[in-house]
Amino acid sequence: MKAQLRSRLFDQVVIPILAIISGLLVASVFVWMAGTNPLTAYADMFSTAFSCEAFERCDLFTTLQLATPLMLTGLSAVVAFRSGLFSLGQEGQLMLGGMMAAWLGYAVQLPPVIHPLFAIAAAMLIGGLYGLIPGILKIKLGVNEIISTIVLNNIANLFVTYLINFPLRADQSTTAHSHPILDTARMLPLAPGSKFGIGFFIAILATLVVTLYLWRTSPGYEERMSGQAPFFARFGGVPHEGAAIRGMFLSGTLAGLAGAIQALGVHYRMLIGFSGGLGFDGLTAAILGQVHPVGTAVVAVFFAGLRQGAQVGLQFSSRVPRELGGGIIALMILFVAADQIYRANLDRLSSLWNRLRRRPAVGEAA
Amino acid sequence: MDLAVEMRKIHKYFPSSDVTANRAVDFSARRGEVHALVGENGAGKTTLMNILYGLIQPDHGEILIEGQPARIGHPDDAIRLGIGMVHQHFKLVPSFSVAENIMLGMEPHTAGVLRRRDEVESVRRLAERFGLPVDPTLRVGELPVGIQQRVEILKALQREARILVLDEPTAVLTPQEARDLFTVVRQLAQGGRTVIFITHKLLEVMQVADRVSVMRKGEMVGTKTIQETDIRDMARMMVGREVLLQIEKPPAQLGESVLQVKNLVVASSSGLPAILNVSLVVRAGEIYGIAGVNGNGQTELVEAITGMRPIEGGSVLLNGIDISRFSVGARRRAGMAHIPEDRLEVGLNLRASLDENLVVSRYRLPEFSRFGFLLRSRIHQFSQDIIRDFSVAAAKPGEGISTLSGGNLQKVVVGRELAGKPDLIVANQPTRGLDVGSIEFVHQTLLQARSQGAAVLLVSVELDEVMSLSDRIAVLFRGQIAGEMHAGEATEEELGILMAGGSLLEGADGRDAPAHPEKGQVA
Repeated sequence: MKAQLRSRLFDQVVIPILAIISGLLVASVFVWMAGTNPLTAYADMFSTAFSCEAFERCDLFTTLQLATPLMLTGLSAVVAFRSGLFSLGQEGQLMLGGMMAAWLGYAVQLPPVIHPLFAIAAAMLIGGLYGLIPGILKIKLGVNEIISTIVLNNIANLFVTYLINFPLRADQSTTAHSHPILDTARMLPLAPGSKFGIGFFIAILATLVVTLYLWRTSPGYEERMSGQAPFFARFGGVPHEGAAIRGMFLSGTLAGLAGAIQALGVHYRMLIGFSGGLGFDGLTAAILGQVHPVGTAVVAVFFAGLRQGAQVGLQFSSRVPRELGGGIIALMILFVAADQIYRANLDRLSSLWNRLRRRPAVGEAA
Repeated sequence: MDLAVEMRKIHKYFPSSDVTANRAVDFSARRGEVHALVGENGAGKTTLMNILYGLIQPDHGEILIEGQPARIGHPDDAIRLGIGMVHQHFKLVPSFSVAENIMLGMEPHTAGVLRRRDEVESVRRLAERFGLPVDPTLRVGELPVGIQQRVEILKALQREARILVLDEPTAVLTPQEARDLFTVVRQLAQGGRTVIFITHKLLEVMQVADRVSVMRKGEMVGTKTIQETDIRDMARMMVGREVLLQIEKPPAQLGESVLQVKNLVVASSSGLPAILNVSLVVRAGEIYGIAGVNGNGQTELVEAITGMRPIEGGSVLLNGIDISRFSVGARRRAGMAHIPEDRLEVGLNLRASLDENLVVSRYRLPEFSRFGFLLRSRIHQFSQDIIRDFSVAAAKPGEGISTLSGGNLQKVVVGRELAGKPDLIVANQPTRGLDVGSIEFVHQTLLQARSQGAAVLLVSVELDEVMSLSDRIAVLFRGQIAGEMHAGEATEEELGILMAGGSLLEGADGRDAPAHPEKGQVA
């Protein structure tokens, strides 16, 4: 039993941490090549990303605001993965959700609190419906969901780009964007100087709800069993096809929610470059977070901190390019994917440890 | 007497699974003997032989081959030293001919051009020399399993094997094929070769071996000559306690017919018919056994009855209700339980907790969930009950099951399936790969369900199992029922003939017919 607990802890915590450390180590070579002491650079990065000078000038708030969409797209990936579908469709669902919220933000007239809620609900619905497409294609026709979601991402992206370039274009400025949303639809920041607001708390709530859903409810059970062991689910009479499709819908709603929060609380409109890779960053947060809602949220905050820290912390203090943050994230993903590096060596270590510990026991037995 | 193989103080520890597979094991086999190596699953016999064949490196210990210390780092070393091994799963190329398989890697050639005729000729001579008749030009994939095994043995002999290791060679054979194999094995030993015969079937040991070594939990319990031992003695050495060998079975108390299968037609995964017009009836209080060599439609029959595979024709009735179109869940609610042949992939979810495994077929009952929320304490209690009732050792309700032994895993499956007092139990190979103690447990549990009035459909390739448990026996051959008889009247001989595709009226001459109809047709 102890061994089991140890191995679970090992998988879920030790490997991501080792991956993070390896990523930082390898990146430090580049920092050093740029002529800066890696230790100072990292210290600058992290102290900036996770510190608060004053309520009005708080980089931590910005970090949390940047983490919010990642938490949700990451959560979206968690729900899909847990249902057994490797959906990469967060990007497209987020675009459609954002577009829907931005459009309803100015096209309808509603009282303050109702307006954003309505826009969010519609954004979640459209994200969910868009998630259903690859789900149904996979279950009913066996279409590989990795390919279909990538294709659907492009379709969504191009469709939204078309909308804001032509029918929904606000003005003839150089970069296209839709009309700004009405004040009634805005989710206002809590602190001046950042866009940090209610969205972050919605993401926290969603993390908790999804955790509860997956591990405490019978539909969540159906999804996890279908995802972990499809033959077992079928054998036990679990409606595994329905569970997988439902998982894809829920996954889509979460990505749609991320889009709505970006549209209503950050950009106040839909614009070109709205996503900037939020879908894929969330996906990688989910993988590094061991496909667990809480792990994903933690990693999302960490990723946002890396970007924010690199952006603000390094910009002034050193000659290191601010793209370092993204670079480190990429390295970490590489290392978490290559977990066998750690596994094999740690196996050897633990075997040595076991043998050392066993020795006296063998003596006793004899 | 000179020793062909001597292994001293062999120790092997697997850190990834934290198992000591061999603990200071001493083993030796003499020249010209058939030496049986027996033990339950996980006793370490295959590990020991894999070490001898160079597939695994021991942590320490030494090996002497024909008196000379040997370092065997790779199967190539083993082959050079005259060791051959026939694995449980054959390592043959199905699309190659017999000759091509046997000569693989040592083909006669002139400047890189193969001399096909020489190849065939040398295999023919080899087969004659050892009295193992086989046509060198046939494609291996089309041969029956018994002949494929013969090809494996010839392959080892072609490489001058003086020590031949056979890993559970009879597991895939009909009784007649097994008897042929024993003759071959005896001949090889008489010719001065050493045969190490891994098995867990003790009757076979008595039939074929000169000496037997018994392993238990990674240790060598002892080595005896066949004259010094008997089945009961060996079973005790294997398990470490007295074992009930004879199954006590009260007469059947027959009730209504529970399962009716009428003219069932089922397609295999490749679309070919795997079950053709099968009809059978299983009544309450009886065990209906289905014997047959693996791959004759057993999987498809069971999957069609349990709802995991669509049917092409005919019908399945449970308690008089046509359930042919019912989902798996609906069939389970109608009173069907299923012990699947693959417990690791199908019967269990090794990544989930014991609770999650046990609740799979009943999580939607009001007993276990309310308003969509799982009632975890009730499920916990249910797990505890099953652990107690079926004495699942080392299992804890909320924890994972991946570290449980095969026997305990099967107890989890059996416990879950029998917990709801089902009307029908479909058990497919319920004891495959289990140790003696667990086999005993599964058999007793099935008999108990029978005496409580359940109908049991038992599918097994172990003829002993079918014969000792069943009230009636049907033989499945190429997707059809080749014959059905009362267990009291059936003999191993008759069943064996039917299993090989022969007919009881004409005598047994269909023996060399392919046992895998699909494979034959594909080619």
